Amino acid sequence: MLENPFQDPLRFERRTPECAIVIFGANGDLARRKLLPALYRLSYDRRLAAGFAVIGVSRTPLGDDQFREKMLKAVQEFSENTNVDDEVWSAFAQGLYYVAGDIADAGLYRRLGEKLAEVEQARHTGGNVLFYLSTQPSQYAPAALGIGAAGLGKGPGWRRLIVEKPFGHSLASARELSGRIHQVFDEPDVYRIDHYLGKETVQNILAFRFGNGIFEPLWNRRYVNHVQITGAESIGVEGRGAYYQEAGALDDMIQNHLLQVMATIAMEPTATFKAPSVRDERSKLLRSIRPMTPEELRRNAVPGQYGPARIGGLDAPGFRQEPGVDPQSQTNTYAAATFFVENWRWAGIPFYLRTGKRLPKRVTEIAIQFNPAPLAIFDSDGDGLPPNLLILRIQPEEGISVKFLSKRPGAGMRLRPVSMDFNYGSSFGERSPSAYETLLLDALVGDATLYTRQDMVEASWAVVEPIQNLWRETRFDFPNYAAGTWGPAAADEMLAQRGHAWRTP
Amino acid sequence: MSQSIVSPETVLRELADLWVATGKDGPNDAGAGVLKACSMTLIAVAEAAEDTAGLGETIAALMPEHPARTILVRLSGPGEPTLSERVYAQCWMPFGQRRQICCEHIEIAVSDPSLPDLRSLLPPLAASDLPVILWCRSARLFDAPDIGGLAGIAQKVIVDSTILPDSRTALARLAAMAGGQALVGDLSWTQLTRWREIQSRIFENREYLTRLPEMTTVRVQFAGAQPPVHAWYMGAWSVDALATVGARARLSLEPDAALAGRALRVELAGKDFSMSLERQEDRLVTRVGDSSQCVSLSQPTDYMLMREELGIVRRDPVYERTLASAARLAVSFSA
Repeated sequence: MLENPFQDPLRFERRTPECAIVIFGANGDLARRKLLPALYRLSYDRRLAAGFAVIGVSRTPLGDDQFREKMLKAVQEFSENTNVDDEVWSAFAQGLYYVAGDIADAGLYRRLGEKLAEVEQARHTGGNVLFYLSTQPSQYAPAALGIGAAGLGKGPGWRRLIVEKPFGHSLASARELSGRIHQVFDEPDVYRIDHYLGKETVQNILAFRFGNGIFEPLWNRRYVNHVQITGAESIGVEGRGAYYQEAGALDDMIQNHLLQVMATIAMEPTATFKAPSVRDERSKLLRSIRPMTPEELRRNAVPGQYGPARIGGLDAPGFRQEPGVDPQSQTNTYAAATFFVENWRWAGIPFYLRTGKRLPKRVTEIAIQFNPAPLAIFDSDGDGLPPNLLILRIQPEEGISVKFLSKRPGAGMRLRPVSMDFNYGSSFGERSPSAYETLLLDALVGDATLYTRQDMVEASWAVVEPIQNLWRETRFDFPNYAAGTWGPAAADEMLAQRGHAWRTP
Repeated sequence: MSQSIVSPETVLRELADLWVATGKDGPNDAGAGVLKACSMTLIAVAEAAEDTAGLGETIAALMPEHPARTILVRLSGPGEPTLSERVYAQCWMPFGQRRQICCEHIEIAVSDPSLPDLRSLLPPLAASDLPVILWCRSARLFDAPDIGGLAGIAQKVIVDSTILPDSRTALARLAAMAGGQALVGDLSWTQLTRWREIQSRIFENREYLTRLPEMTTVRVQFAGAQPPVHAWYMGAWSVDALATVGARARLSLEPDAALAGRALRVELAGKDFSMSLERQEDRLVTRVGDSSQCVSLSQPTDYMLMREELGIVRRDPVYERTLASAARLAVSFSA
């Protein structure tokens, strides 16, 4: 087969093939806020092939030009650090098309097929199609089956499907969803998106662990005391109370984002940096998490729900006071859990995960606390010497810090903690691509490394479902933490039973 | 500060003192202070007459991504033997942070008679275990054998061949340097990266790709009377690439009065297919058959070009191949 002779991999960005992206739910929030701005930015950066098109699919009747106008507004409103250049937009907009219809209507897929054929002629997309399900989760399976019934799931080029989370709401429903999707798309063509994995620092964890020789020898139960993974949000449910009430922090964050981050931190080194190897190791790690009995879960998982408080001179409502929320709601807006990985590397080392709404600040980070020196030969101030910490910050300021002890200058031998920081933004002055830019580009080139595979989804649900079940059958005395605080006291006690304490990010 | 003796120990001691002073000057509460960053030694050689502020700004802009111990050598020309130095730190406070990040700078002024002294002065000043990059901005030094004897200090030598008046001589000189130990980078080549990338992207389309073996002509049009180095590069690169798919394309280089500055127009043509690229102000217009596309392409600054070159401290096979071809073509065209 003829290879492009003009390639220069040392200097050029990754090449993307020509293709059409079909976005179901093209008028929705995700498409307007994230997908179109990401695609426009990729076009602005010349990362997309000339033969590239987007077909928006939604119920609202619109023509191609109206859709283009609407998307221009979305790009202008939601693009970060990107100029909307008239000429670039005009070239990009030529590749935008629209098909109106209901996902349950077979006629939609017939019209979509006709549009794809038209676009293929006009834009030379090579018959490659990436379907993106940016709809309500209940429409994932009908959309996939509709694509299949119309014969659009197979074609002259490749056909891939991106599915947004949640991937089911339990182990059984996740399996059922996959089963229906697999009637049309083979598993290697299904890209389950977890935008956390597209973040630069999450990818940097792999570079940090497997690109350097000095950390891996310490990366085990002999040197690591415990690991804390925090995904904190300072905002409340922001008008999404009705949706959030059905999900909760455990399902919304721990089942996917935080467990994927934990898998990246704790997985074994891979033989190659190819998608199957990386995903195999992530999956293996998730399957190694020890299942707990209900009694163990009571000691190792803590739900929370925020109550009203005054923050910075403003009254913040409690969750039950949010619009659309049941005043007696038992939904968890905070979840903390302790997990143990049953393998030789991590046996006995607690992994503490916590996430919550209305915590003091928005921060996502991983803190690895190392064991103290075996013998304390230096004086401490009575509280013992602070531990060595390796902190991997995912947001808002991506970076890595190492905290260690150093002699205080002057007479005597008094130690104090110091920090060595690597700040991603200041070390690499350039703007980092958004997670959606990274992940869309990956899907276009067929690289599934940062996407979640079905066995990983099932392994995560197997970990989370027992907690979900226990919490469902328990009536909690909510609210149990005030908005603007670091969560319920029971979460502190969960760590205290092992002599640990949450660090304050 | 005019003197003719500078010892490496003196400079290194001044650097150490600088860090102590910087630490004292900055806030010293826990978590603040300064962070020293260094990933290479960058030796920039420029004529004393060159705009100091502009060069300083370029180097400062490079530091966040390529933090370096920078040695700026200013060539003061003929006269009495002169060699003097000063050290200073360049610091920046990342947005929202309490800690400054600082890089070390050493400035050395040297007159022509003292130039040979640099060969013994510079190596001890390089940061240990990190690559040394020599950025030669002086046409005079570029023309001197082995860049005045400094090429041997560096893992990579970066020049901008447009500073030489004659492109054929520049290519011959670069090709000879590339045969030596150091890696060679030319900013005239670097400025073509985005062009080349866009040209390459067009042929990601399989339909267009299959037309490549039919190409018979590569036409490069340029501003001015003589083809500049980057026109040779673009022509040689295109012809070489086409040869790998079996196309024996003829290269023509033609002046075009409508073009200005460093602008080029590149056209690949065959029997029933043609494509072209042309810069129009801050955009690049590509035409394939009857359809055209426009993308933003701002004029590359020294900062952008150096940023790319500093990221490549390894062999660059595409450039090495193109340089050899361009030098050969330039000779055969003149013959």
